[in-house]
Amino acid sequence: MADLSNLASLAPAAVAKRSTVGRLLVAGTILFLTLFVVLPVANVFGEAFSKGIGAYVQTFYVPKPESGATPSLSEKHRFAAKMGQAERTWSAIRMSCWVAAFVVPLNIIFGLAAAWAITKFRFKGRVFLVTLIDLPFSISPVVAGLAFVLLFGRTGIFGDWATSWTWPDPTSLTWQGFTGPWWPLSFARTYTGIMFTPLAIVLASIFVTFPFVARSLIPLMDVQGSEEELAALSLGASGWRTFRTVTLANVKWALLYGAILCTARAFGEFGAVSVVSGHIDFNDTMPLRIEKLWNEYDTQAAFSVATLLAGLAVLTLIIKSAVEWKTNRTQIAEPLELEMTSDEHRSAGGEQVLRLLPGSQGREP
Amino acid sequence: MRGVSKSYGSSQALKDVNLKVKSGELVALLGPSGSGKTTLLRIIAGIEAADPGGRVLFDNVDVSMTDLGKRRIGFVFQHYALFKQMNVFENIAFGLRAKPWRARPSNAAIKAKVEELLALVQLQNFAPRYPSQLSGGQRQRVALARALAVEPQVLLLDEPFGALDATVRRELRRWLRKLHERIRVTSIFVTHDQEEALEVADRVAVMNAGRIEQFASPEEVYERPANPFVYGFLGSYNLFHARHDGASRGQDETASRGDAPVTFVRPHDIEILRDNEDGSAIAAKVTHIGFAGAAVNVELLKLDDHQQVDAELSTQTYRDLALKLDDQVFIRLRNPHSFYEDYAI
Repeated sequence: MADLSNLASLAPAAVAKRSTVGRLLVAGTILFLTLFVVLPVANVFGEAFSKGIGAYVQTFYVPKPESGATPSLSEKHRFAAKMGQAERTWSAIRMSCWVAAFVVPLNIIFGLAAAWAITKFRFKGRVFLVTLIDLPFSISPVVAGLAFVLLFGRTGIFGDWATSWTWPDPTSLTWQGFTGPWWPLSFARTYTGIMFTPLAIVLASIFVTFPFVARSLIPLMDVQGSEEELAALSLGASGWRTFRTVTLANVKWALLYGAILCTARAFGEFGAVSVVSGHIDFNDTMPLRIEKLWNEYDTQAAFSVATLLAGLAVLTLIIKSAVEWKTNRTQIAEPLELEMTSDEHRSAGGEQVLRLLPGSQGREP
Repeated sequence: MRGVSKSYGSSQALKDVNLKVKSGELVALLGPSGSGKTTLLRIIAGIEAADPGGRVLFDNVDVSMTDLGKRRIGFVFQHYALFKQMNVFENIAFGLRAKPWRARPSNAAIKAKVEELLALVQLQNFAPRYPSQLSGGQRQRVALARALAVEPQVLLLDEPFGALDATVRRELRRWLRKLHERIRVTSIFVTHDQEEALEVADRVAVMNAGRIEQFASPEEVYERPANPFVYGFLGSYNLFHARHDGASRGQDETASRGDAPVTFVRPHDIEILRDNEDGSAIAAKVTHIGFAGAAVNVELLKLDDHQQVDAELSTQTYRDLALKLDDQVFIRLRNPHSFYEDYAI
């Protein structure tokens, strides 16, 4: 009995000793995170609301002066300036959303195609292709932006073509009715050239966010192999049906995960976009707009826009952990099967054999 | 009648293989790993293409150029390849739903067909389960039902019991045999387990190094093997060389040289005698006795050339002989097989 109580008292001591180190580590981690993550983020919100909620709202929306008031000239000027700033901020928010709306679907398609090619086929240069996919991760985004300038800029390789090419703005698609030509839709706006237009921003963002989808798919698809696809094909399914019901169904969570990361980066990208936007107000995305507001010493407005990006990041994190939780749950189902198999074997006696035979209507274990 | 003939080029995984499987037959492709049996199965299925010149015929119709989806085959993969994201019902219904809409049965017809198949594989209550919630044996049966749903001309099974453990394997083996007797679909399965092939199949094709060594009924393959490889692959054996009129074991490097006939004898065909009545028996000494349940394995050393011989006795015979270590006995060969080829195993 003495020995037993000794053991019992020893065990908590050992745990306590281990947990001293553990507590130190946890404390260190929390301190570090507080200093480098929590405080800056809190500061963003603090600065944004430093002049009160009214000032925060006025970054995005300037209320019209009361109809009875007779504003002085300087007040009119200040009002117009505020309106202009708010309009430019909205333009930046719209631009960011449009860029993400084009970049994310395109990268989902490219990422799927790349992951498919790399995991389901064996060909020469496969390893090289994997490295190439990772390139945007290892290269500075500014360099990527410069590369596009050198390609499509005035003196670039495709310069002659790229500066004179005119293309319609897909976001300006409007309904003009059947009065004109046979086609009732038309583009209200066209662009000429590639550099310093939203197209350049989309191209640069595609480059920077390309690896996310492919990277999150490749390991999973590698493990899954192509047997299920072969099985589907052998059952007479068409290629498209096989892709839709088997391949896509098997990777949908990983795909969503990649798409979320891709979206977050598309909204947050600064370096590459900064180079190709040409610092034209019209081309500003949210990060570029924040920089301009900051440079104009409008600290409160800059941080107000930053709260949107921070909020987006938090939302991304929540969705990301939800998806991770979901993916883990589907993967945890695997060990369960082993347990069940061994259970069946244990119970598999002589009667089991008889019950398995067709004809004898037995119940399953 | 189905004729399947194909050659396989550069890597020579298959060397000009010809195989003719009768309609409704259950055939086993038996061979060691690397003998090309899975390659052959995948060529029949259309997953891999045979070399130019090689042809696969179903009912005398050349399907070599037909897509695997249009060959009307049911392929059961070694690891089942069930669709993880679908439940058992959807897995089995997949082939029916995948048909072009003109040929697609109504939802009610699909439901009826799937339920019929679930009953056939004894999994009626498992329709809403997902593959990860099934045991290995259950998955195997779902895979089989899924393959049968499209009413294939040929059912192809790649190592159907390979991923299961011994008990479940034995059950499923018998179950497959019964199932085949009931539905009579032409079936070809690949295995490296000779016991499995002999027990389940109507005919066995023994393969080695890309060739079919013998294609015959299990009894014939076992009793009248075409060559030493077939003999050796189907069980343990003793080798006797006529040249020096002695015995050596299978691993012996002096085996099979020149035109000397080599005699193969199974351990259970070695008869141990206490005395040499007619003078034809060979003198030997007992060197080891091992019990293996119903049988007793006796190792002997031949006295003339000091070669080792393995014998397998029933416990009854062993008791009657009252064998002890270092006993001087005589051995006689029953049912010996002699091959004259220069054949290295």
